[in-house]
Amino acid sequence: MIQLEDVSKIFESPLKQVEVLIKITLEVKNGEFIVVKGPSGSGKTTLLLSIGGMLRPTSGNIRINDKNIYLLSDRERTKFRALNIGFVFQMFYLIPYLNVLENTMLSGGLKDIGTKRGKALKLAEDLGLSDRVMHRPSELSAGECQRVALARALIHQPEIILADEPTGNLDKENSSEVVRILAHYHQNGGTVIMATHGDDADKIADRIILLNKGEI
Amino acid sequence: MIIRLIIKEIVYKKFNFLLALLGVSFAVAFFVFFFTANEASTRETIRLTRDMGYNLRIIPKDTDMNIFWTTGYSEYTMPEDYVDRFLQFKDFSFAHLTATLQKKISWQNKEVILTGIAPEIEPSGIKRTAMIFSIEPAQVYVGFELAKDLQLKQGDEIEVLGKYFSIKKTLSETGSIDDIRIYGTLAEFQEMVDLKGRINEIMALNCLCLSPDENDPLPMLREQLDQVLPEAKVVMNTTIANARERQRHMLEEYFVLTTIIVIIVIAIWIGSLAMINAKEREKETGILRATGHSVLKISFIFLGKALIIGIIGAIIGYTIGTVTALKLGPGIFMITKNSMKPIYSLLAWAIISAPVFTMLSSFIPILIAVMKDPAVTLRKE
Repeated sequence: MIQLEDVSKIFESPLKQVEVLIKITLEVKNGEFIVVKGPSGSGKTTLLLSIGGMLRPTSGNIRINDKNIYLLSDRERTKFRALNIGFVFQMFYLIPYLNVLENTMLSGGLKDIGTKRGKALKLAEDLGLSDRVMHRPSELSAGECQRVALARALIHQPEIILADEPTGNLDKENSSEVVRILAHYHQNGGTVIMATHGDDADKIADRIILLNKGEI
Repeated sequence: MIIRLIIKEIVYKKFNFLLALLGVSFAVAFFVFFFTANEASTRETIRLTRDMGYNLRIIPKDTDMNIFWTTGYSEYTMPEDYVDRFLQFKDFSFAHLTATLQKKISWQNKEVILTGIAPEIEPSGIKRTAMIFSIEPAQVYVGFELAKDLQLKQGDEIEVLGKYFSIKKTLSETGSIDDIRIYGTLAEFQEMVDLKGRINEIMALNCLCLSPDENDPLPMLREQLDQVLPEAKVVMNTTIANARERQRHMLEEYFVLTTIIVIIVIAIWIGSLAMINAKEREKETGILRATGHSVLKISFIFLGKALIIGIIGAIIGYTIGTVTALKLGPGIFMITKNSMKPIYSLLAWAIISAPVFTMLSSFIPILIAVMKDPAVTLRKE
């Protein structure tokens, strides 16, 4: 269960203060598929990064399975994230000098290299990347890159996937494929929170949350 | 995994790696070149100075210098145990101290200088090869001119002032007053001229420690002597070795200044490259944080690259520096090729210090990169 209690996030600069999230209260049950929609600048990315332990809220609490993740030390939170959370971003953020297999194995959640490699190869096969495992990101299409990013997020079988506009750079066909993969993960009991502009995932979402100017 | 990431990134970003390697190699090569050549120059100067013999003469303070230069020795004497005072002091510029008693006599219708010599002592306590021969009782060494004129040879027995000696050796020509000396043990010669326990000169060698502010060592030598033996004074033979030593010191000063500049420039070079590299890898750092890798681990990835650059740069720099020293050093430092030798211990020094230097130069850019909020770098562009 993910619980947000009055979570606010303010970004401060020398010239101004920007309130990106305003008193967000939200509960996400285990195994739910939540779609977060809103215009650019509404706070979707900030919300996902906060839930993922990457962005400390200015105020409020965020609990995952009754654990207040921002009361953990940085090291503990890193470890928590490694074991429990998988991120998928619009820009993929693959390491350019690593091949598909190595990018997939990048997750810090699994220590045993043998296990990691086996899982990475299996995932590559499941995601239609078997013949591309030795290719670098520059040699892949956008759709293939996003599937690699998904594989990286899934390899350690996290409880939660946080996907920030994963279809934003993809065509319709690849977007559908990404949503299918997330749906499959959800069907197997995983929790998904997906930020998006489009309606790709509306049909499979348990809930759709509209975010506007930092408020639900 | 860390090593894999480091090596893959190095191969991917070869240009950045090679530029950094160039900087480190240059710095190490520069230092190795100068150090190797300077050491060789020092060795050669010391050798030349030794070959030229004693260059310091410590004589009683009241010595009349006109008489001294006319007769070749001081007319005054001082207690023999004065030389032992030097043993109390360390870090002294006087080495190879040899107490002597010299007196001119008429022998076999010739003017000869009887020269009694004591065994050498070293104030520094360092064991050095003696500069002068050691003499046994009842033995003498005879100068070139005397031996030639009187047709003396090794093994001959001679009588001097009522005492009999065996000639241990006739010496080679020196072109100096030494060619008319008869050398014997100090004790025997003191007894013969009725000056028991007395000497009139302590011969020494300047250890080539030129004073830091001046190129002329004589004021410093006189100051040191005043501490030990205020009853004496020192005269120095200015030799070609001194001129060479002056030149070497000048080059050494330039080296120190240039080294500081080189270190600063290369540190800025390495730091700038590290900053560019860290900036280019911001997203990578962010995704590594997002996928559960700690700040420490990410720092190791960057520092590991700096370490590799340092080690490889050290090896390349040492090789280039040594080869360049062997080839160009003799010309620049005006020394013989045989004096130039590789200093293998510098390789160990380079392999330890170059990586440390590279990591320190990269430290701040790396720190800035890994401490940057990953949420900022991972937000959509």
